Amino acid sequence: MTRDAIKDLILEIIEDIDEDADFETLQPEKPLRDQLDLDSMDFLDIVMELRKRHKLQIPEEDYPELATLDSCVNYLEPLLTDA
Amino acid sequence: MHIPLVIIGGGLSGLAAALRFARFIPDVLVLEKHSRVGGLNSYYYRNNRLFETGLHAITNYAPPKVKSAPLNRLLRQLKIKRSELDLHQQNQSEIRFLDCESLVFSNDFSLFDAEVAAKFPAGHDGFLKLLRLINEYDPFQPLPFISARKIIQEHLQDQLLTDMLLCPLMFYGSSIEDDMDLGQFIIMFRAIFLEGMFRPGGTIKDLLDLLLKHYQDHGGTIRTKAAVSRIISKGSSIHGVELANGEEISCDYLLSTIGSEETFALLEKPYPGESLPRLGFVETIFEIQAETILPKAADRTIIFYNAAEKFTYRQPDQLVDFNSGVICMPQNFQDLPPRPFKEVRTTHLANYDQWNSLKNDKSSYNSTKDNIALNSLPIAEKILGNFAENIVYRDTFTPLTIERFTAKKKGAIYGNPVKIKDGDIGYNNLYLAGTDQGFLGIIGSMLSGVSIVNQHILPCL
Repeated sequence: MTRDAIKDLILEIIEDIDEDADFETLQPEKPLRDQLDLDSMDFLDIVMELRKRHKLQIPEEDYPELATLDSCVNYLEPLLTDA
Repeated sequence: MHIPLVIIGGGLSGLAAALRFARFIPDVLVLEKHSRVGGLNSYYYRNNRLFETGLHAITNYAPPKVKSAPLNRLLRQLKIKRSELDLHQQNQSEIRFLDCESLVFSNDFSLFDAEVAAKFPAGHDGFLKLLRLINEYDPFQPLPFISARKIIQEHLQDQLLTDMLLCPLMFYGSSIEDDMDLGQFIIMFRAIFLEGMFRPGGTIKDLLDLLLKHYQDHGGTIRTKAAVSRIISKGSSIHGVELANGEEISCDYLLSTIGSEETFALLEKPYPGESLPRLGFVETIFEIQAETILPKAADRTIIFYNAAEKFTYRQPDQLVDFNSGVICMPQNFQDLPPRPFKEVRTTHLANYDQWNSLKNDKSSYNSTKDNIALNSLPIAEKILGNFAENIVYRDTFTPLTIERFTAKKKGAIYGNPVKIKDGDIGYNNLYLAGTDQGFLGIIGSMLSGVSIVNQHILPCL
C-alpha cells in the first residue's frame, strides 16, 4: 500500500467514527486526538478497524505510534506492503 | 461449544458491551436469565398495554455538537446514529422539600443556577465554588471513598441546600446510605443538573430493540431464559459457564453484569468484601386518563420530594418510607407523541427484609402491596393535585418483584454499596460491568459495558 493510500485508509476510518470530523485543517505531524476531539475510546476504533480490515494485530505498547497521521503512515507502511 | 466472549446478563450494560464487541468480532454470546432483555430497564404487558419497568428519564442529555459528552461518546462507540434515537428532552423537574423550599431545574443549567441564587443567596458563592470543583475534578480516578456530603457542606455551609442537592442524585443512583462517594456525586451532578434528562419518544422497548437489531446485524447471538448456574474456573482462570439446563459453554473471556456478590456466588466462592446494607425501593404506577390535568404540577417531569423535617436516604425501619421519594410523569417530556393514557409513578425507599417476611403469605403480600399504593397516593396528590378518580389501572413493584425479575440481590436497584471501578475482581479473564462497576443510569451502565470491553478485552484478543 502506498503512503497516500495508507493516509486515505486512516482518514476513512476516522470519518467512519465521526462523520463530522474536519480534515481541512488537519496537520499531519500533530496529534490526531487533539485536532479531531477524539478520546481514547475512539482511538481504539482505529486499532480495531485495522485489525478487521487488514488482519493487523497492533500490540497495546505500539498504540502511541498511531498518534499523528504521519506516524500512522510510518508505522503501517512496512506492515501493509502486501495489502 | 466455545465462544471468545460470553456475557452474563442482557441488561443495558451487557447489551452495550456485546454490541461494542460484535462490531469487531461477531463471536459473542449474551446469556439472559429472564425471557426478555433489559434487566432493570425492561417492560411488561397488562391490558394489552406496554408498561416500562425502570425508566423514569434517561440522564446525560447532550446536544449533538458536544463530542466529549457521555451520550455522544456512547453513540460513537456503538455506531448508532443519533437520529435512530427519538430524543425528547424533559420539561422541568423540581426538588421540593414540602412546606420548606423548592428548586426547579431543566436541561438549561442557568435555570438551576438562578434558582439557587434566588432562594439561597448566602449559599450561592459556595455553590459556584462547588461547581468549579465539579467541573475540574476527575471522578474516574480510582480513589478510596470520599464523603460527598462533607465536601458539599464545607462549600455551601447550608444544611438544607446540601440535602436538596443530594436528594435527586441519591434517588437516581446512590447505593450508599445518607451519603455518596465524591466521584459518584460528581458523575451524577453532571448527568442530572449539568447535562439533563430525556426519554425516547416510544418506549424502552424501542431502545432495547434497536440495540438488539444492531447487535444481531453484526452477527452477535443472544439467548434468553438461559440462566447460568455456575462459572467454571480453575485457580484464577475461567474456563466457561454451566447453564441451568446442564449445558456447558467454554469461553476465552467472561463478562459478568449481574453484580459482584452475585458473580462470586456463581463462582462458588465466598464474597471477599463485607456485606453492607442494600437499598430497596417500591414503585407504584398509577395509570390515569389522558385528559387528567394535574393542577399543581402540570408540566413537571420529575419531582424529588422530602416531607420530613430532616432528609434521610437510608433503609427504613418499616416496609416503606413515604417521607421522601420520586414522582415521575413520563408524559411530560417535550413534543412526545400522544398516548392513550398518562402515568404518575411514585418511588420510595423500602425495607427488603420486611417484604421478604411476607413472601410466603400471598394474600397478605398482595394486600400489603395495595396498602402501600394507597398510602403513596395522598402524598402524590398533595404534591400534584387530585387524580385518584381518574386512575384506570395501578401496579406496584416491591423489592421482591425487582429481585425476581432482575436477579439483583435484595432487589437493590443500585446494587452493592462497594463499587469495583476497574471491573477487575481478581481473575485473569473475568470482568465485572454494570451496576457494581459503578456507572449508573442507562447511559452510564451502557458506557460501563463499553469501557470494560475496551479496557480489558478488545486489546487482548
